[in-house]
Amino acid sequence: MSRLLATALSLRRDPRVQKLPPYLSFLCVLVGLVWLLLLPLDDYARKTYISENALLPGQVHTYFSGSESHVLRAYRSELDVLASEEDPTRVNDKIEEILKGLGVKVGRQSYTYNAAGRAHSGENVYGILQAPRGDATEAIVLVAAIRSLNGQVNRNGVALALTLARYFKRWSLWSKDIIMVFPPDSETGTQAWVDAYHDAHDPRYVAPLPLKSGALQGALALDYPEVDRFSALQIIYDGVNGQLPNLDLVNSVGNIASGQMGITGFIQGMRHHKGTYKHRLTTIFRGMVKQSLGNSWGPHSSFMPYHVDAVTLQPYGKGFHDEMAMGRVIEGSFRSLNNLLEHLHQSFFFYLLMQRDRFVSIGTYLPSVMLLAANFSIMAIYLWVQSGQVDADAQKKAGKQPKASATEIAAVTVERSLVLPVAIVAVCHALSAVPLYVLNNTTAQLLPTAFAALAAMSTAAPFVLSYAVLPVYKPTQQQILLMKSLSLLLLGMALSTLATLNFSLAFVIGVLTAPLSFVGLSRNEPLRWASATLLTLLAPATVIYSVVAGVGLDMGHLLEQASFGWTVWGMYTPIVVWTIWWPAWTISMVSVLC
Amino acid sequence: MPETMTLRGKAGIYAGAALLRLLLFVAFPSLPDLLTSRVEISTPVTSFKRLQEGLFLYNHNVSPYDGGVFHQAPLLLPLFSLLPDVRALPIFTALLYILVDILSAEALMRIAASGEAVQSRLFTSPRRIRQASSLVVVACYLFNPLSIASCLGRTTSVFTNCATLWAVAKAIDGSPFNAMVALSFASYLSMYPLLLLPPTILLAYDHQLLKGRTQAAPTFAVKNVAIVLVVLGMLLGMSWALDSQSWEFLGRTYGIQLTLNDLNPNVGLWWYFFIEMFDSFRSFFLAVFWLHLSSYVGGLSIRIRTQPLVVIVLLLGIFSIFKPYPSIADTSLFLGTLPLYRHVFPLMRYSFVAAAVLAYATFLGPAFFHLWIYAGSGNANFFYAITLVWSLGQSLLVSDLTFATLRDEWEVERPEMVGKEVKQI
Repeated sequence: MSRLLATALSLRRDPRVQKLPPYLSFLCVLVGLVWLLLLPLDDYARKTYISENALLPGQVHTYFSGSESHVLRAYRSELDVLASEEDPTRVNDKIEEILKGLGVKVGRQSYTYNAAGRAHSGENVYGILQAPRGDATEAIVLVAAIRSLNGQVNRNGVALALTLARYFKRWSLWSKDIIMVFPPDSETGTQAWVDAYHDAHDPRYVAPLPLKSGALQGALALDYPEVDRFSALQIIYDGVNGQLPNLDLVNSVGNIASGQMGITGFIQGMRHHKGTYKHRLTTIFRGMVKQSLGNSWGPHSSFMPYHVDAVTLQPYGKGFHDEMAMGRVIEGSFRSLNNLLEHLHQSFFFYLLMQRDRFVSIGTYLPSVMLLAANFSIMAIYLWVQSGQVDADAQKKAGKQPKASATEIAAVTVERSLVLPVAIVAVCHALSAVPLYVLNNTTAQLLPTAFAALAAMSTAAPFVLSYAVLPVYKPTQQQILLMKSLSLLLLGMALSTLATLNFSLAFVIGVLTAPLSFVGLSRNEPLRWASATLLTLLAPATVIYSVVAGVGLDMGHLLEQASFGWTVWGMYTPIVVWTIWWPAWTISMVSVLC
Repeated sequence: MPETMTLRGKAGIYAGAALLRLLLFVAFPSLPDLLTSRVEISTPVTSFKRLQEGLFLYNHNVSPYDGGVFHQAPLLLPLFSLLPDVRALPIFTALLYILVDILSAEALMRIAASGEAVQSRLFTSPRRIRQASSLVVVACYLFNPLSIASCLGRTTSVFTNCATLWAVAKAIDGSPFNAMVALSFASYLSMYPLLLLPPTILLAYDHQLLKGRTQAAPTFAVKNVAIVLVVLGMLLGMSWALDSQSWEFLGRTYGIQLTLNDLNPNVGLWWYFFIEMFDSFRSFFLAVFWLHLSSYVGGLSIRIRTQPLVVIVLLLGIFSIFKPYPSIADTSLFLGTLPLYRHVFPLMRYSFVAAAVLAYATFLGPAFFHLWIYAGSGNANFFYAITLVWSLGQSLLVSDLTFATLRDEWEVERPEMVGKEVKQI
């Protein structure tokens, strides 16, 4: 045993071993990337299944049909008249009148959000159907926004929700309260409502709720503007900041739609999913992009931060299913949720869906991003060890003949002076407050200009730092290494933490920053300039500009969305970009230039 | 000249640290409350929120322990009831906590300036020229994010830390009486500092001899233990009078620490273990855990008799791992005293690994706690796993510092082994 230990210890000093980390780190990046590409294969993905026994999706007979369709058409035509009017309170008045007529308690809540110099105000109206068999300790929510996701009036959605309210009211089997929420739009309304429901709202902008029920157990949102018959049902499940609802909810709704009603369910806009590798990978990628952007993707998204599982249902295409079938899907889903004995907890909260009934769980996909993060930690350790070693060339220059063998040189460690590197890293991270502050406190018109100015400054920052500021302090080679080591250590740490909260965002940032590990390792002049160019291409601002140009987005719109997302939804993607990615990039650039 | 430099540097550091804290208190008024409710900072026996609850009951002439949430020493209540209401005028509480932090720093400054870390009565380190400057030590303590967080979180461990540091400083100063009084205060507030009594007496004894006051060791020890007992008795007597002349507070303060009745999660190792345990084994394991915690005192004091200060530092590290209710305030005290041993840092083998592990844990801990409590997508095991990592990081530091000091001593005995590879068996 002691022999073995001694061998291991001497191996530690072996110069060959000490050259290994960059290759190891590159291998980590490579394996991490390939890992993700392997996920769609049958060997790694699993078929979805229902974990929670109480749900029993599709096991009840649904009765929503027949004459209810006349009621629905009646509500729809009443709303059609009002929806064309300018004053949104008329619609709310009508909804309140209808709900009160059904004997449902109604509450209204107004709110105003100010984001990027624009006010977003509106009024939620909601009704609580008290459970005949419950004690108002638990509730399930049905959301029908007046304006659907694409900005049209949610004609069928609102009418269907009202019809369902009337229909549910007559049943005696509910053991949880049912809350019908009618927010004015799909972005702000539910957020204000959910915040106020949990008393987490800012009373300056959002009014409290006059009426409440018990703990929310689940929520469905209806996004159904087209009145024609539909062919398939899209289930939108991404929440704010990439949080996902319990997989059981997605599965139950999907099972009820396809198993009971014969409606094809699909996800991520992949209507014609053939189950091929390519389609699966596209679905995963679309899901990851949505997750990494972290904004709200429907009225359901705002529920997720409060640990309320929610999905938005969106009928799609032309087919033979009518709104009554949609109503039965919701009835079936509510019956399942009604059966729950405790909060959904059995199934996965972290998953990547690749088609409606196939997924990979966290244990299978997490290693890919953890390997990416590990690459930074390995390089940080490598640079730390390097910084402690006496430079053999420097020794020769100083006239000292390295008399001992290579193994003994490696054993000598010099003292590390940490003050300057720590200061640089701290200053770079502190500077990231500037873009965050500017981008969240500028009006929408000025945002593109502000961003352009920030982009120019961020490109100039490393040059200023390395040619104007740092020479004053005369950093040694060791201090540059230490600075880079600390920065990579922080990056690795931040990414592995982020991976547990928002896998996709961590992965995207990990891929974009992976080259930071390898630049600046060589002092070769052309190589240095090549890496400086590569880094400039991978700068946060450059990447954002090129993505915007590539996808054909409007820069102003994107920035306004980011500012809006931070103010309204608490979306932290901009924080990650500016406090994790940008400082890491800046310090790498400085280390290349110095 | 260097004298004035040090003075100016000292004033600068104190002013900077105080201003930084004040700025955080004033500029982010919601930050202190946020930190106060974090389990990493506030434990059942140190939480500021619980102190408020106790204070409210106390001010309304109800026994503060009736609410069942307040588990802190009763004498804190009159102190805090002197301050204006924290919700109306939080600045006074903030100033008190800043002052206590600066006082702790002053004690640490004296400990560092005395050079006890490199040269004790029985041992002089061959590396003493590499001694850390006292300014650096104090700056490391005051600007440590953990110290700042525990000051902002207004945990009452800050008072214990201050008293403990003054006990050590006074022992080095050669005034054992003051040291024992300070240690009694620390023990009265948190109980566990009582375990520091043996090394503190040794430290004080060494400095008695250095001052030329010869005295037999047993008499000196007995005298000091007597001082501690008398002071503790007085403090407890005052508490008895304060808590409507009942001894109930003993069970509610020290009893909670001894029996771990409040199983709120914290960064330590006890809570999860005792949640999982069957009740029939509870008392046995309580005894084992306490025995384990106190068993280090004798062993370390005897083994490293030559350097009582390092024993105290190591014990502080051990307490912050194995205490029933540890928080980052305890870790900040350990990390604050660690730079005193900067001269042996080159002998430490895992400093980078330990620092990285601690840093990883500080990032992942709050994230996993969020996943468990708020997002609901994780569970208690997530957070517990991270507290294990956190403890691992600290125990790496403790064991590595032990190794480094022992090696430092050993190299005096075996000069031919300097710079050679050794194995710890």
